[in-house]
Amino acid sequence: MDFLLQSQNADGGWGYRIAGMSYVEPTAAVMRVLPSSSARNAARDFLLRAQHADGGWGIAVADSESGWMTAWAVRALAELPEAHDAARRGGVWLLATEGQRITDPDARRVIQKLHKIDSALGGWPWQPGDAGWVHPTALAVLALVAVGQGEQARVRAGIAYLEDRACSEGGWNIGNPWMLDKQIPATIQDTAVVLRALHAAGETRSAGRVAQAIEYLRNAVARAQTPAELAWGIYALRDWGMGTGDALARLEALQQSNGSWNDNPFITAIASQK
Amino acid sequence: MKRPEIENPKSKTENGLTRRAFLRLALLTGIAAGAGVIYKSTEAVGFERWFRWMARGQLARWFAPHARVALAACATYDADVLGAVRTAWTRAALPNLGGARVVLKPNLVDFVAGYPCFTHPRIVEAMIHLAREQGARDIVVAEGTTFRRDSQATLEATGYSALLAREHVAFVDLNYDDLGEIALTGGYTKLKTLFVAKTIRDADVVVSLPKMKTHHWTTVSASVKNFFGIVPGIKYGWPKNTLHVQGIPVFLAELVDSLPVRACAVVDGVVGLEGDGPIFGGAVPSGVLVAGADLLAVDATCARLMGFEPAQIDYLDFAAWAGLGVIDARQIDLEGDPLARFQRTYEPPPTM
Repeated sequence: MDFLLQSQNADGGWGYRIAGMSYVEPTAAVMRVLPSSSARNAARDFLLRAQHADGGWGIAVADSESGWMTAWAVRALAELPEAHDAARRGGVWLLATEGQRITDPDARRVIQKLHKIDSALGGWPWQPGDAGWVHPTALAVLALVAVGQGEQARVRAGIAYLEDRACSEGGWNIGNPWMLDKQIPATIQDTAVVLRALHAAGETRSAGRVAQAIEYLRNAVARAQTPAELAWGIYALRDWGMGTGDALARLEALQQSNGSWNDNPFITAIASQK
Repeated sequence: MKRPEIENPKSKTENGLTRRAFLRLALLTGIAAGAGVIYKSTEAVGFERWFRWMARGQLARWFAPHARVALAACATYDADVLGAVRTAWTRAALPNLGGARVVLKPNLVDFVAGYPCFTHPRIVEAMIHLAREQGARDIVVAEGTTFRRDSQATLEATGYSALLAREHVAFVDLNYDDLGEIALTGGYTKLKTLFVAKTIRDADVVVSLPKMKTHHWTTVSASVKNFFGIVPGIKYGWPKNTLHVQGIPVFLAELVDSLPVRACAVVDGVVGLEGDGPIFGGAVPSGVLVAGADLLAVDATCARLMGFEPAQIDYLDFAAWAGLGVIDARQIDLEGDPLARFQRTYEPPPTM
């Protein structure tokens, strides 16, 4: 926690490194693990200042276009009663934002052949105008659940999208389970964020690809070497009541003497989640 | 004797026009129709832009100095890679790096066991040594990986973590770097600005160190495509699809035209990748390094080494037409070992 407090920028935000430019994602992630404090208030104010008139957030103050980091800001501000209105407006932006869906039957067939995905399903994009992708979709589901919108049809559609994008061997990657006839492997971070979203949305272990993904994640975390992979994996498995073996000890062993993981406030915040 | 008939320029057609007036009218109609076709076909980008690109391309074809591209033999990664990189660098007359802030940009698209889809760390290691020999002020290795948010996992798996630790060189993850917004001056896409990593913007020289390989979207992936890695994932997502949907040839032209820094390339063709690139292709021992400062000329040479015709590759054809570099073999001065020594027939990528 000391590292996080010391690495806060003067504008109240955090970057992905010490003294790095403040971004919405690390600021929201750190804010969620900080106890009530002036540092947390400064982070809250940073996020409130960075909110756009359309209710969304860009990646940083300098980014005038709302995008995927809106989900992080919504989750963080939803936990503060005084920021509920900002979080609610962010939720409205998320509900109005959808990845491009391809419904033309011929184009849909081509994409089905190339990637073995249903391009008519709508997830959330990294940026408006883009297709849906796994990571921003999972984050949007988490955010909408956090602002009490978990029963919205868009959330259910997002879950259907995530089910469709699952890798056949278990877990998720960025959102392309196949490239022609080759399987693209799942990643720990994408799988973990999806499992956290499905858990938050009330999915059960018997639903769709959950059990297979948990199995993938257990095996992958057992071999994981990096703080980000270990941190994401551990907390997703915990959500689902799974043991994590020696993963927590391995994560702690990677903590640096300044209390950080990789001198990175974002990864440190993920690793500090309770 | 009958007088030969002399055409009276003032003789009238059946409609009452003189023949000369008729010919003038026909000529003007033809010009107008041609202009209309050009205007219509260039409506998407605007006639003024199209004309500017076309004129620049034509001028380059006639007046631009030849590009210089060097080939250097390097049979394996256990050979004298530094010697080969040094030879290629010198033959290509690439800039002396003394006092420069140098960014080395390998291609670390992903790690999938068994597929040589990334730049071998020995190439980067040799380039670090060369930059040090020349007295570079600062050297960093930088990449913004395409398929994983956690680049550390990729660095570990590809052997880069060990290399960076051994050489005491910093790695900058361009997906998470501080950003600056640059104006896109080419007008090739609908984007007016682009966020790029500060590490790139502040460098004196960026050395593209790609793997020579096939790619299912661009046929060939070398020094230009490698620069997709300089755009930040936090803005454009993973796999930076927002930029792909702008149209790959035009976006690559935009990158080449708007790069905010001096760039050159040393391509890892020691073992290339054929077929299902950029990841799942097969290894092809080509035993060559390709170096140059004209990125299009470098990529065109790579294409020829792989058995492809550069003019058939959309991004090369478009960028050369627009005058951003040369791909015509007659305009490329090849230095060093002959092309034929390293030419192989790479299996083309699958058609998408």
